[in-house]
Amino acid sequence: MTILALDLPGPRRSPRQGLVPAFGLSPAGLMLVFFFALPMGMMIGTSFHDPSSGALSFQAYERFLNDGLTLKGFWRTAIMSCLVAVAATALAYPLAYFLARSKSRFRIIVFALALAPELAGVVLRTYGWLIILEDRGFINDIFLHWGLIDEPLRLSKNLFAVVVGLTHVVLPFAILSLTTSIQGIDENLERAAQMLGANRLSVIRMILVPLSVPGIVSALLLSFTMAASAYATPALLGGAGFKVLATMISEQVLFYVDWSFAAVMANALLVLMLVVSYAGLNFETRLRDRRGVKRGG
Amino acid sequence: MGKILAATTVAISSLCLAPALRAETLVVNSYGGPYEAIIRRAIIEPFEQQTGIDVVYDAVGAASQDYAKIKATKGRPGFDVAVMTASQSLQGCQDGVLERLDPTAIPNLRYVAPKLAKSAGPCGAVHELQYMSLLYRTDKMESPPRSWSALASPELNGRIVLPTFQNIMALYLVEIFATMNGGDLTGNLDPGFKAMSDVARQSIGFEQSSAILESYIKDGTVWAMPFWNGRAQLLVDSGLPVDYVRPIEGTIPLIATLNIPVAAEHKASARKFIDFFLEKTSQEAWVSAYKVGSARTDINVPDDVRARQITTEADLESLLLPDLSVVAARLREWGEQWEREVVAHQE
Repeated sequence: MTILALDLPGPRRSPRQGLVPAFGLSPAGLMLVFFFALPMGMMIGTSFHDPSSGALSFQAYERFLNDGLTLKGFWRTAIMSCLVAVAATALAYPLAYFLARSKSRFRIIVFALALAPELAGVVLRTYGWLIILEDRGFINDIFLHWGLIDEPLRLSKNLFAVVVGLTHVVLPFAILSLTTSIQGIDENLERAAQMLGANRLSVIRMILVPLSVPGIVSALLLSFTMAASAYATPALLGGAGFKVLATMISEQVLFYVDWSFAAVMANALLVLMLVVSYAGLNFETRLRDRRGVKRGG
Repeated sequence: MGKILAATTVAISSLCLAPALRAETLVVNSYGGPYEAIIRRAIIEPFEQQTGIDVVYDAVGAASQDYAKIKATKGRPGFDVAVMTASQSLQGCQDGVLERLDPTAIPNLRYVAPKLAKSAGPCGAVHELQYMSLLYRTDKMESPPRSWSALASPELNGRIVLPTFQNIMALYLVEIFATMNGGDLTGNLDPGFKAMSDVARQSIGFEQSSAILESYIKDGTVWAMPFWNGRAQLLVDSGLPVDYVRPIEGTIPLIATLNIPVAAEHKASARKFIDFFLEKTSQEAWVSAYKVGSARTDINVPDDVRARQITTEADLESLLLPDLSVVAARLREWGEQWEREVVAHQE
């Protein structure tokens, strides 16, 4: 099939017409410049300062790349965020499907329950999980009482506890992101596939999942970035040995008063999130392009 | 018409005169909770009565957060007096964000014990001392612990909790164990780290916040732990079956200081406040009310308070005082050693 592109002159626009949307965007733009771009620039600048003399230096970057504990914290952040992203997306998908497709009168109740955790603050919810998971907590108390265990299970102060706590925190966002995506898929496609003999599993595998990839990717990215930058949950549920970039940045700012090193860690966190976001979006674009080529061919 | 003119004149005059008639305001940043109630009663209200200066109490932030705010604003954090520690006083002086305090403007600085004044440096006025005590459950332990080495005894296996390194008590414990095992306070801490790795195996974990640390001893999960004696005394006074000791090997104090950010708005009032806090009568009131020690050794306090607090020359002599400038310089190195040799062992 050949596509002809006609190079026709567009409608004439006066210079004033271009100013109107720019004017509309300016409050948001100014806010981004003053409260995001400028502080980010300052932070990047701080990372190149020698903490004692204030001179230009790469010392903090050298230290970051050679410090085993810090690098361990970096990879721990990446692994923790990946696990949270996968867990939240996997848990959110069936709920989002129900919310997008169901005509049940209970739909609104499920929707309210899905978003209800957002009504309580992160710290409150994290303390809730601490009460449930800690050695003297609800689960261990029950198991000990029933005689299922002799010693408390180590459910808190580790990666497991942090992943559970953070999954709870990001779940509503993953649900919202996936619900919107699934709502955009034409229901007739699923019906048509079933009429042509596809079973329910095939419909999910060949119609629903491929078409909801943009929603899945955005849920994964949203969950990943929220988990990577979370402070309170890793600090409270992770314990002293579980250090991630966010808690290490706080330590450097408040306890060691080494702002250059804190800025390097913050930059590393930013790079991690940008790389993952780029990879996710790139994957989605390639998949869409491949589908487009298949359809076109 | 005449009435309107008179009313307008009165309104304009009051607007012009209001700033002149209004009492000066001083913003003091310190801690909340029981501390706030006690400082208001023992220090702030008498100060306001004596000087006519209005004190606005700002209880937001821990000392480290206050210092970060002072540094980030280059000495203009929005408060005039900050309650911090000797470590932050030294750091603030070095960074040029805290004012050097002049004994001619604050005459009571002369009565601060020289040993402590030196520890805090020229930018901090030492107004209070606590020491790291060994807090224990009286209903669980057969006899009161006498030595820090009790933390490593089999009786307390799984019955102690330790502070994280971001709570300065952790480093002070390492320093004490170093002196007990052939090292010293700042030069050679290796024996201290080695001893602490053994202590860590007995610990149920590490916590940074004093409130969480004390929750473990309150509910009986732990039977002993290091704790600042001022806060330990509050637990004793609350009627819990706990008590605390100053172990025989000695202890390291937490030196609390009053500081003025270099670009504070009401510096003259801030100096008056510091001088008032360091007065003999104020120190007596503070020590008796908050149950802490003083950097003035000429104060008169009840015997029961004197028996447990740092109030005399002899008490001061018994304290172990690490060089805080060395502590600041090597803190990061020791923090990493703590993670590798102490936290890793507990896990």
